[in-house]
Amino acid sequence: MSQILLQLGQGFLDCLTPINLIMLVVGIVIGLLIGVLPGLTLVMGVALALPFTYKMDVTASIVLLSAMYVSGTYGGAFTAILFRIPGEPIDVPMLWDGYTMGRKGQPAKALGWTLVAALGGGLLSATIMVMLTQPLAHFALRFSTPEYFAVLMFGLSSVVALGRGSLGNALISLAVGLLIATVGTDETYGASRFTFDTRILADGIEFLVVMVGAYGVGEVLARLETGFATKPIQKVGQTRTELPSWREMSALKGMFLRSSVLGNIIGLIPGAGATIASFVSYGMEAQFGKRRKEMGTGVAEGIVAPQAAATASVGGALVPLLALGIPGSGATAIILGAFMLHGIQPGPQVMATSAHTVYAVFASIYLGLALMCVIGYFAIRPLVKILDMPEAIVSAYVLTLCFIGALSIRNNVIDLWLMIGFGVVGYAFERLKFPVAPLVLGVILGPLAEASFMNTMISFGNDWTVFFTRPIAGTVMVFTFAMLALPFLQQWRARRVAAA
Amino acid sequence: MRSTTRSFVAIFAAALCAVFAGGKATAAGYPERPIELIVPWGPGGGADQLARLVSKLMEPMLGQGIPVVNVPGGTGATGMAKLLAAPADGYAMAIYIADSHALLAGKSPRWTMQDITPVAVMIKGPSFIFVKQDSPYKTWADFEKDAKANPGKLKVATLGFGSVDDFSLSVLARGGVKVVQVPFSKPSERYVSILGGHADALYEQAGDVAQFLNSKQMRPIMLFGEKRLPAFKDTPSSHELGYKVALPQFRAIVMRAGTPPDVVKKVSDALAKVAASPEYKKFLEEQFGDPASFEDASKAPAFVNQQLEDMKKTVATN
Repeated sequence: MSQILLQLGQGFLDCLTPINLIMLVVGIVIGLLIGVLPGLTLVMGVALALPFTYKMDVTASIVLLSAMYVSGTYGGAFTAILFRIPGEPIDVPMLWDGYTMGRKGQPAKALGWTLVAALGGGLLSATIMVMLTQPLAHFALRFSTPEYFAVLMFGLSSVVALGRGSLGNALISLAVGLLIATVGTDETYGASRFTFDTRILADGIEFLVVMVGAYGVGEVLARLETGFATKPIQKVGQTRTELPSWREMSALKGMFLRSSVLGNIIGLIPGAGATIASFVSYGMEAQFGKRRKEMGTGVAEGIVAPQAAATASVGGALVPLLALGIPGSGATAIILGAFMLHGIQPGPQVMATSAHTVYAVFASIYLGLALMCVIGYFAIRPLVKILDMPEAIVSAYVLTLCFIGALSIRNNVIDLWLMIGFGVVGYAFERLKFPVAPLVLGVILGPLAEASFMNTMISFGNDWTVFFTRPIAGTVMVFTFAMLALPFLQQWRARRVAAA
Repeated sequence: MRSTTRSFVAIFAAALCAVFAGGKATAAGYPERPIELIVPWGPGGGADQLARLVSKLMEPMLGQGIPVVNVPGGTGATGMAKLLAAPADGYAMAIYIADSHALLAGKSPRWTMQDITPVAVMIKGPSFIFVKQDSPYKTWADFEKDAKANPGKLKVATLGFGSVDDFSLSVLARGGVKVVQVPFSKPSERYVSILGGHADALYEQAGDVAQFLNSKQMRPIMLFGEKRLPAFKDTPSSHELGYKVALPQFRAIVMRAGTPPDVVKKVSDALAKVAASPEYKKFLEEQFGDPASFEDASKAPAFVNQQLEDMKKTVATN
């Protein structure tokens, strides 16, 4: 224990050299920008930064990349809350309570909550990571395809929490999303599905295109309908509070812990990452939380749950990377590349051979989180001012951002047309009172769930009972069914009470 | 019918471009502007790493920028479509790897060898069968014995169906080693399946699992090739074990067919210098690539064609 603290202290000292500090700041700023730009995902950002690290010393380069990784999970919250464009898929749950809170005249407060959530989730997760690297890494190895599928089903079942008005509409929306996800060449057998012999559809539909279109473009269309006439938010200048008070925060400490631990565990799983953590955590809170009835109306719980889990997943994802050499996500795969480039082999022996560097990485996560919050804090005020500008102008910038985002996904102009198409779909959904979130959820998680289901079937000779007989998969499945059954039970009980 | 029309159009378009390009785009002034290097895969993978290293090393030699563009999708097909849509003037090239090449051995490929000109082969390396360090299979013989005794029981993690991995395993199956192929398109899931004991063996190139080999978490029991490698002298080759299959992973750089030969030569010569640089040699060593991987524009087409023949043979006798 004291050994760990001593080494961590040494790590902090290593991080405080001028060059490493500069890298830390640069990484955080770039990470925030990547988070803000829809379409330019974390993985792409980290990959683009990798060549710049060739000539750097190993600690500096890992500090740069992990700072980007941490702050990339936070930047997208700004655009989600202010403009209803999720900068990263992880920010989709931020739209329900974060954006709603902003619309109720408290955008600065909503951003303040994300900041606190990112900091709290990140710090808790980093601490878990430092203390329990080895046991957690071995826990991660117990996950195989049936477990991935169970976790994804759990993520999909959060749909019952997303369909505010009508569960039926939410399920229809989810089914449409899952259907869109099947378009293209199937991952397992290479069969063409719903491609109609066109090249446009042969490569499938990127979930980012759907997400950016349905939210960003759809929102602009909705505003166009009113002729940009509605003043969206009461004078923003009146809202003074930015950070939540200590009392407000301590009221939520139980859920901070819950979301962070959940995020950390999901980060550990090689097949899952920040996105799934964010959705699952929101779903958990909406189903089992204290204020579950008010979720979606702009309550702090709806902001803290997804953000804390998303940032906490970073710590989780670094564990299998450092302790076993397994990159659990796209971004950690690139960080692994940076380690190897400098002759460090992450794996069981890394604590013995390169403990120095590893603890510097740990320390950089702590420092990165702290610095990220300082930068975020000073960014809130000027950013919120943007909402005072005429809506038509803001919408023009929003559209530009959407186009840049959609093109940067895979440099394909066809994606722009698809994005516009999904903008119309998103707008139509809103008008017809179908929630958009389940659609996006289906498009994001559908392909992952399908691949892990097919793989399980191949691997276990078409025996579907493995989902229930393997301990971890079975436990998660029980939670999934509880989540799905809960609304019906509550209805049934309410009717009984009403009858009596 | 459709594909013949298409390839005819492609050849015609290529010829047309060559006529137009013939006048101005000779090697004398080439390159006058940046050359795009298309990676038909996402960022971070082996193809991407190669592209970024080549771009960095070749830029000063040609005096122009070589931006790397990731165009993932369709096992490389989307990126290849982008290459084939650009004019054949040498200002677009792409990384071309064995897994994309394997598509040509399948039904109705989206391009043929007539559409591309291999400029150079940059890296070649055999694939292996790996097991977990503490696996009960000490040698290939143990694995073979168990697989023959229990056909369809042992699980081997691969990249996917219709891939080079699939072709190689089908040769083993004809020799009586019938295993269940579990496709994992994500490398991390593929590796966890071995380390967590969810699959019995892994089909992979050594460079991609270097961290697990060095930290003694995995060990090879066989390599697919004609002879053993110096770095793995205790690992038997498939040929000596009686399986006539050797489909190495390779990563090449290609341009569109019809690119002026002197332009191709100029780039190929620059790539030869890249391949001879100490930085590239170090990369090759880390990737456990064949030290004699490099093939220039005069030899690369023959190599790539031969690979396709070998793959087709594997599929045909299936």
